[in-house]
Amino acid sequence: MTQRAAYRVLHETRYTYSDTVTSAHQLAHLRPRGTSWQKVKSHKLTINPKPVEQAPGDDYFGNDVLRFMIDAPHDELVVRAESVVEVEAHAPDSSIASPAWEAGRAAPGEWGPHVDLDVEAYRVASPMAPVLDEALIYGRESFSDGRPWLDAMLDLTRRIQTDFVYDPKATTVTTQVAEIFSLRRGVCQDFAHLMISCLRSLGLPARYVSGYILNRPKPGARRVMGADASHAWVAGHCPAHGWVAFDPTNGKLADIEFITLGWGREFSDVTPLRGVVLGAATQMLAVDVKVQPL
Amino acid sequence: MLEEMLAAYPEPQGRFDELFEAPLKPRPHWSRFITELSATSAGGIRERLLAAERRIRDSGVTYNVYADPMGQDRPWDLDVLPLIIAPEEWQELEAGIVQRATLFNRVLGDLYGEQTLLKDGLIPPALIFGQSGFLRPARGMRVPGGVHLHVYAADLARSPDGRWWVMADRTQAPSGAGYALENRLVVSRTFPALYRDLGIQHVARFFAMLRDSLMQFAPKGDGHTLTVLLTPGPYNETYFEHALLARYLGFPLVEGGDLTVREGRVWMKTISGLKRVHAILRRQDDNYCDPVELRADSALGVAGLMDCARRGSVLIANALGSGVLESGALLGFLPKLSQHFLNAPLRLPSIATWWCGEPAAQADALEHVKKLVFKPADPGQQFETIFGQDLDDKGLAALRKKLALHPERFVAQELVRMSQAPVLVKGQSEKITARNIGLRVFAVATPNGYVVMPGGLTRVASSADVRVVSMQRGGGSKDTWVMSSGPVDSAFTLLRNTVTASDLVRVRAGVPSRVIENLFWFGRYEERCDNTARLLRVALNQRLQEADDEENGLEPILALARAFGVLEKDETDPDKALLAASTLETHPFGLPSNLRALERVAFNLRDRMSLDNWRTINGLIKDPVFGRKATLADTLNWLDRNVTSLMTLSGFALDGMTRDDAWLFLSIGRRIERLAFHCLALQVAFSDGADSGLSWLLSLADSTVTYRSRYMARPEWLPVLDLLVLDGANPRSVVFQTTAMAADLAKLELSYGACGSDLLAAEIAALKKLNPARELQPANPNLRASIDGLRSVAFAVSDHLTQRFFNLARTSIWSTLGM
Repeated sequence: MTQRAAYRVLHETRYTYSDTVTSAHQLAHLRPRGTSWQKVKSHKLTINPKPVEQAPGDDYFGNDVLRFMIDAPHDELVVRAESVVEVEAHAPDSSIASPAWEAGRAAPGEWGPHVDLDVEAYRVASPMAPVLDEALIYGRESFSDGRPWLDAMLDLTRRIQTDFVYDPKATTVTTQVAEIFSLRRGVCQDFAHLMISCLRSLGLPARYVSGYILNRPKPGARRVMGADASHAWVAGHCPAHGWVAFDPTNGKLADIEFITLGWGREFSDVTPLRGVVLGAATQMLAVDVKVQPL
Repeated sequence: MLEEMLAAYPEPQGRFDELFEAPLKPRPHWSRFITELSATSAGGIRERLLAAERRIRDSGVTYNVYADPMGQDRPWDLDVLPLIIAPEEWQELEAGIVQRATLFNRVLGDLYGEQTLLKDGLIPPALIFGQSGFLRPARGMRVPGGVHLHVYAADLARSPDGRWWVMADRTQAPSGAGYALENRLVVSRTFPALYRDLGIQHVARFFAMLRDSLMQFAPKGDGHTLTVLLTPGPYNETYFEHALLARYLGFPLVEGGDLTVREGRVWMKTISGLKRVHAILRRQDDNYCDPVELRADSALGVAGLMDCARRGSVLIANALGSGVLESGALLGFLPKLSQHFLNAPLRLPSIATWWCGEPAAQADALEHVKKLVFKPADPGQQFETIFGQDLDDKGLAALRKKLALHPERFVAQELVRMSQAPVLVKGQSEKITARNIGLRVFAVATPNGYVVMPGGLTRVASSADVRVVSMQRGGGSKDTWVMSSGPVDSAFTLLRNTVTASDLVRVRAGVPSRVIENLFWFGRYEERCDNTARLLRVALNQRLQEADDEENGLEPILALARAFGVLEKDETDPDKALLAASTLETHPFGLPSNLRALERVAFNLRDRMSLDNWRTINGLIKDPVFGRKATLADTLNWLDRNVTSLMTLSGFALDGMTRDDAWLFLSIGRRIERLAFHCLALQVAFSDGADSGLSWLLSLADSTVTYRSRYMARPEWLPVLDLLVLDGANPRSVVFQTTAMAADLAKLELSYGACGSDLLAAEIAALKKLNPARELQPANPNLRASIDGLRSVAFAVSDHLTQRFFNLARTSIWSTLGM
C-alpha cells in the first residue's frame, strides 16, 4: 500500500510599512500545486486589508497564482494561506536501475524532432541559476563518467549539505550562486539555486521547487533545516525516472514530508508573494509557517 | 563642375557604389539629381545647407549619446544628400519586408501560444529559452487582432554585387521612424524642385496608417479610443523622437508613472481623473514594463500591465515579448520557418549568420574565425561585437576558448562590405565624398496586412572606414528617396486634414497629471529663482553703499535673507555667505540650487517647452560664474543676468504658451511663490524694519521707479504700503497677485470643481476692508493679520492643489519579495 500523509499548512506573510501604502499590486504563489502524488483538500487565502480586485490564474510553469490589488491606504498587509494537503510517497522506484547520468544530458544545440518542452524549459540557464564554470567543476565531482543518475544526484545533494553551512544571516533573496560558492553558507533557496546551477552546467534539466517541509523533532534526531519558513529544494529529470526531488539543505530525497507549492526555473518564478506598493519608504517582512501533520 | 565637385570621391574598392556604376558615370536614377547638384554654385549649396541646419536647430532635433561629452543635447547629424532608390528595386525590397514582418508575427504567435515550432523541433528550444527577451508571463496573452508585431524595422546593407541583405531585425520597439520623418521634412525643403520632379514617394501616409491601425485594432469601451506613447523618459537616447512622434500622431506622451491599472484595464492619470487607455505605442523595453511580473527592479513600469495584456484589455505595440526575435541566432532558421508558415522561400535574405550553439555551426565558426563577426546570441547580454580579423593570437585563443565552453552564447556572422553613398564634406560643402551606409526600413501592421514606409532612415558611418553604422557610435543619417513608378499622391498632407469635435475633447483630457505638476513647479521655481536673485542683489547692493543712516536697510534685508533661508540664522560673515549663496551650488537654498531645480523640472517638460525656454535656462546653468567663487562685481553682474533671463522666461510663458488648463497651473505656481515671498518681505519689514529706510523693500518689489515717479520723495510707510499692498495696478502688489490667483483658480474650477479659491475669498475681503488712511502702518494689527493670513493661504492653496491633482502622479514604487 502506498504510504500517505496529510498536513495542514499555515503560511502567514506580514508586511509592516514605514509609511502608509496607498495601493498595492501583488502576485501570490501560495496555493499548493495538485500533482499525481499531491492532492489539495482545501485552500483558503485571507488577505487583510481586503483587495478591491483579485483573480486566480496560472503561470507559465502551470502553477496556480492569485493576482490581487489593494486600493485602500494601509500600513500593514497580512496574507494568510491555510491549506490541507495529502501527499503520497513518490520517491523513485528502486527496482528501476538508474541509467548513466549522461543519458539525460543534452547540449543546447542538440535537439530532436520531438521535444519535451516540460523538460527543456528547465535545462537552460536562468538569471539566479546560471551556467558557471565553478558549478560545472563542483558538480562534476559527483557526476563522474557513467555513474548512475540517481546515485550521482544523491551524492551532489549530500555534498552540498556537508560543504555548506545553513546560515540565515549570510545571504539575501538576491544573492547570486557565485557568491554562495565563496561564502560557503546560505539558506535553502541558495542551496537550491547552487544545485540547479551545477546540474544545468552539466547539461541536465533542473527545477526550483517551492514549498514546505515537516518539522518532526524526534529525540536525538538531526534538526530539520528550513522548517520554520517556506522551504525550497530541487527536482532533477532523467528519462528513466522522470522528475525526482532532492533537498540539498537536508541532504536527502524530498518525499512524503515535503509539501509542494509550485516550481519554476528559480526563486523569482515562484516567489510566494511578490508585488509593487506605492507610497512606503521601507518595509518589514515577517513570515510564519506552520506544518501540522493530520 | 562635376569633376571638381567629385575630386575627393573615393574609389569603391570592391564596395557597391550607390551613385556611380562606373567612374563618373552615375546610375540612371541618380543622374538628374547629381547633374542639378553640380550645376549649383558652391554658394548656392552652402545657402541650402545653412537653411537645413537652421531647420534642424529650430525643430530641436537631438539624439542623446550616452558617452558623448556634449551630453544630452547632441544636434541631429543629417547629411542633406538623400539616398535615392529606383522604383523596381524598391518593389522587391518592399515585398521582402512585408513577407518578413508577416512571418515574424506568425512566429511570435506560436512562441507565445502553442509553441509547435519548439515541440516539432523547427527551432532549438535552448535558442528561445535562453533569450532574456523571451517573456514567460506573456505566453497565452490575447493580442488584439492577433497582431504581436505592429511596427517592424529591418536594418539592411547592400553587398558588392548590389543585393540587399537584412543585417538585423527590430521587433521590440523600433526607433528611427520619427527621425526619418524629420529628415524628410528638412531634405524635401532643401531640394524642393528635385523632390517634386523626381516623383519621390511621400512617407506621411505611413504614420497615418500607424495611427489609424492602432485605433482599429485596439479594444473598445470607457469612452474615446485613447492611444498613448509610452517613453522611458527624457534620459532615453531617442527621447526627442518619442516627443516628435507623440506630437505628430496626436498621442499623449506618457511615462510609466502616468498610467495605472484598475479593474484589469489601463488608465491614464489626468487632472480630470482617470482616462481609459486602449492602446500603448511603447518605446520602453518590455522587460521594464511591469515590475509585478517582469523585472522587479524596474521603476519605469506600470504595475499590472502584463495582466492587462494577458486579458487583451489593452493593445500594446509591439506586444510584450516581441523582442525575442531580435536575436541574430534566429536568422539561420528563417528560410525553414518561411517554408513552414508561408509555404514560400524567404524573399529578402538575412546576412549569413550561424548560431554557434549548433555543433556544426560551432565547428565552422572556429575554423573561419578570421572572416567572421561574433555577437551575443542573447541581445540582452551586452558585449561588444568581436571582429575576427582584428584579433591577435591571444585574442583568438580567448575567443576559441569561449566558443568551446559556451557556444550557445554566440552568433557568428559574415562580414559585409557595405555600400558607399555620396555625402557632402563637412565644412566644405561644395565637395562630395562617400561613406558607408546602412538602411533602416519600417513596416506597420494594418487590417489589410503589412505596409512598408516608402523611404526610411539611411544611416551613415562616422568615418571613412567604419564597419558598423550606429547612432550610438556617433554616425549620421540621410533621407531616403524612393522614386515612384506611378504618380505620387501629393494631396496627402503630413498633418491631419480634419479635426473633429471628439479630437478636441481628447486633446484636453490628454495631459497626464505629471506634466501638470511639472508645470506648476516650473512656475514656482522660476519665481523662486527670481525672488532669490532679487533678494541677493538688493542685499549685496546695500553692502556696497556707504552707510546713510536713514536709508540703511541692511538689517531688515539680512533678516529677510535669514527668514527666506539664503542666510544661516547664526551667520557671522554675511558678506561671504551672500556671495556664496549667489554662485555656489553647495548652498541648499542659494540661487544655483534653485536654478538646478528649475532645470530639472524644465528637462521633464522638454516635449512641451520651446527650445528657447531650454536655451535660456541652459545659458544660466552654463554661465562661467555658476558654481564658482566670484568677486562682488562679477556676482552683481551675474545676478543682473539672472533677473533678465528669468524675465525672458516669464515672457515666453506669458506670450508663447497656449492658455489652457496646463498654463493655469504654471501661472498659479508662480503667483503662489510671489505672494508668499512678498508677504514674507512685508512681515520682516513690519518687525525688523520699522525704523529703517524702505528703499530696499521697494527695490525688492521692483517698484522703485513707480514710487519715484509718483512721489518724488524718500520712501515713507503710507505711500509704500499703498503701492505694495493695495495698489491694484501694480503687478507686484499683494492685492494684484491675490486677485489674479483667485481668477486663475476660478477658471480651473469651471472644469474641476473646488480648487481652493474659497480659501482666498475671506482674505481678499479682509484686505479690501483695510482703511488706507488709518491702517496702512507697520504696527497695525489688521494689516499684519491680513499679511500673515495671505502668506499661509498661499501655501494652503499649494497643498490643496497637490492633494487634489498631483497625489495621483506620485510614484514611489517599491517592489517586494516575500518568502
